Amino acid sequence: MAGKPKRRLFKRKQKQLNRSMAGNTLLFTIMIICGIFMALPLVMIVNNALKPLDEIYQFPPKIFVRNPTLENFTDLFTLMNDTWVPFSRYFLNTVIITGGGMVGHVIVASLAAYPLAKHKFPGKSILFSMVVLSMMFSWTVTQIPQYTIISWLGINNTYAALILPAWSFGMGLYLMKQFMEQLPDSLMESARLDGASEWHIFWKIVMPNVKPAWLTLAIFQFQQMWGNTGSLFLRDEELKPLQFALQQITAGGVARAGAAAAVTFIIAAVPITFFLICQSNVLETMTTSGMKD
Amino acid sequence: MSKVKTKKMTLVQKRMRSGYMFILPWLFGFLVFYVRSLIMTVQFSFSELTMDPNVGGYALESVGFDNFIYAFRAHATFKQVLTTSIGNMLVDVPLITFFSLFMAMLLNKKFPGRFLVRAIFFLPIIFNSSAIQSAMELSEAMMSGGISTMSSELSSGAGTGAGAVVSIDYFVDLFMDLGLPMALLDYVMAAVQRINDIISASGVQIIIFIAALQSIPGSLYEVAKIEGATGYETFWKITFPMVMPHIITNVVYTIVDSFTESEVVTLAYNTAFKQFNYGLSSVFSLVSTIITCVILVVVVGFIQKRTFYYN
Repeated sequence: MAGKPKRRLFKRKQKQLNRSMAGNTLLFTIMIICGIFMALPLVMIVNNALKPLDEIYQFPPKIFVRNPTLENFTDLFTLMNDTWVPFSRYFLNTVIITGGGMVGHVIVASLAAYPLAKHKFPGKSILFSMVVLSMMFSWTVTQIPQYTIISWLGINNTYAALILPAWSFGMGLYLMKQFMEQLPDSLMESARLDGASEWHIFWKIVMPNVKPAWLTLAIFQFQQMWGNTGSLFLRDEELKPLQFALQQITAGGVARAGAAAAVTFIIAAVPITFFLICQSNVLETMTTSGMKD
Repeated sequence: MSKVKTKKMTLVQKRMRSGYMFILPWLFGFLVFYVRSLIMTVQFSFSELTMDPNVGGYALESVGFDNFIYAFRAHATFKQVLTTSIGNMLVDVPLITFFSLFMAMLLNKKFPGRFLVRAIFFLPIIFNSSAIQSAMELSEAMMSGGISTMSSELSSGAGTGAGAVVSIDYFVDLFMDLGLPMALLDYVMAAVQRINDIISASGVQIIIFIAALQSIPGSLYEVAKIEGATGYETFWKITFPMVMPHIITNVVYTIVDSFTESEVVTLAYNTAFKQFNYGLSSVFSLVSTIITCVILVVVVGFIQKRTFYYN
């Protein structure tokens, strides 16, 4: 693999410091191999969504579709239109839950992370160890306490039952704190000398400088919320998210296979798109950092 | 003099107050949703919980340490599952951390099609959601004609070269004859067997490392280049120290992640919601949480000593 490559694979040689072509070839070969394995499920999802029913059941299975068709999607929509909750409603629910949970979590966690990273106050270390402890805990097991709390607050069977707990999860706080600690103190000091309030410093200096961090957090939280079926807290059918609908469709088994493939495609496509948008933003902004010393 | 002092105090106090204001919304939610249910779980672990369908609630009866004693003395699989999970975690954490740092450095470079490649490495996280997985299992089952022999069928169908596999036992014997320590070999074997898990568990870590690499000031590399540093030196003198704090972040995340998906959690979940033994299930999750915390404190303490902070 590594050998002596006969042709030049990449033109950008002068930009890199010192790396041999052999090294490059080796690294990219590893990356391609890993990438193929990771991309395989996606290729399958896309192709399955486009396969007509007889090709889905074909044995031995083929990865790639022969006669692509949009039949599965039309099937899905007619199927969902017959039920009393339309497909668009499920989709809207997911968007509200995911969006609310994500935006709230990023803001609340960043707000809390700023003093933890850059200020000294009594109780700081206790608070921070509580955060780490809470991340260790497996929350899937605590469904009974969670349910008790949600009904105690009276937000059972509302969007808030899924959105509010997501806001104060420990992971985001931890991530943001780690990144804010890296910011040079002199940035905030100079803003303070110019008379900026802490609120101003947070929004105008800290947040723009840790943009890669909170975009990462947004991606992470988006994925967490997107996968939520909400079956524990949501009872009304018109409040349930798309993931729940998918479970219902796949529970329908063999007859619904085409529709299930179409929903899987839709559910997988949105987070990937969101990820791509966020990642391109990370790259554009961080080339110019605030430091000039 | 005293006037100056009081003025300074108020400024500090003012800062402190605004600091608390920043934390307040988060802290409120944290106390309500998480601390409370943590306390309730501790409570459950010392009692026997019975559901009361007439009232629609539950009744607690204190049983002292009975649940703990049962978990360690009498339960058939708990100790074994616990040690396996911890063992897997110890194998995974260093591998995932270094694999993701390595991948992040590759993905941080400019090359054609980079967005696509990055997205591909993010895919496993998306496929982790339970709904998608159940759908995938359904489609795989259909593809194999109702016979649920999925993964082997799939990989051979993909033509990813599973043809000429050399028996791995041969290499193990060879290395043992060479006198390599058995513990090392076991580790490498475990790593090789879990390579798919490792790759698919490192999506978030790669993103965190990419964000960390992006935050390194470009001027540092410029200086290094002017001074004539080699790529190797630049990595060890600039990149590595600068991402060191995020190695801690990633180690913590990896430990958390591999723990929340470990068999102990599955066991606790099944105990609670299939056998309806909530007290025992609370014991399982508490014990494993405490053990993970101890591991975390040791590991992070070890790395923290060697960490370089830019300020």
